[in-house]
Amino acid sequence: MAKPKPRVRLPKSISAGVPFTVKTRITHPMHTGLRHGSDGALVPRRIVNRFTVQFNSEVVMSAELEPAVSADPYIEFEMAVPESGELVFEWVDDDGSVYSLRKSIDVA
Amino acid sequence: MAMTRRCVLLMAAAAAFLPGGAAGNENGVMQAIAEFTGGATPLDGGVNLLIPEIADNGGAVPVRVEAAAARRIALFTDGNPYPGVAVFSLGRLASSAAAIRIRLAGSQTVIAVAELADGSYRQATRSIAVTVGGCA
Repeated sequence: MAKPKPRVRLPKSISAGVPFTVKTRITHPMHTGLRHGSDGALVPRRIVNRFTVQFNSEVVMSAELEPAVSADPYIEFEMAVPESGELVFEWVDDDGSVYSLRKSIDVA
Repeated sequence: MAMTRRCVLLMAAAAAFLPGGAAGNENGVMQAIAEFTGGATPLDGGVNLLIPEIADNGGAVPVRVEAAAARRIALFTDGNPYPGVAVFSLGRLASSAAAIRIRLAGSQTVIAVAELADGSYRQATRSIAVTVGGCA
């Protein structure tokens, strides 16, 4: 499998205290463990089971994901920041891998 | 997503036996909700669950859930092999809403349960028709 590629989209300009939308996506097959491959064998479960977002080390939101989440998990939420800082996004794979992405925010 | 013919046939057969209307409990969704709420029964209202009425592709159904003053929001389904979909924990900086794309194995009911800041639980229930199941 190709290495999962995380992507995050933020508005071009962000003001302190004003809510904005964060769109996140990671390429990942999210194998449910219930489906059979072309050889007839069960494809073992492998999903992104946890997603967390932190701003300056404070948890903004986290999500526990189950196999019912679509392939290439897409998650969108709204947040506001009081000051400039760094957003850290982390996706945790069933195999223990952690895929992360950092985005710095300069409030206007 | 790659889908085998066997999977599509199985899902279609499963969908044919689903009851309409109220949420069923074939996959243990009631127990899963009770586990999330610690046994409390969620009240209706206070949660806005936005899903399409009909989804052509059960492999990626957009779902948005909003609940004022929610600390945690969980999504459940009554017709997938497993009842749980996702649990969002929302911190101080996040607003009380989230959107995600989910798999639905066939026409069924989606349930959103929110834990509010005062410790109470609220829920919203929406049924959805799925044309092609998503192999969940």
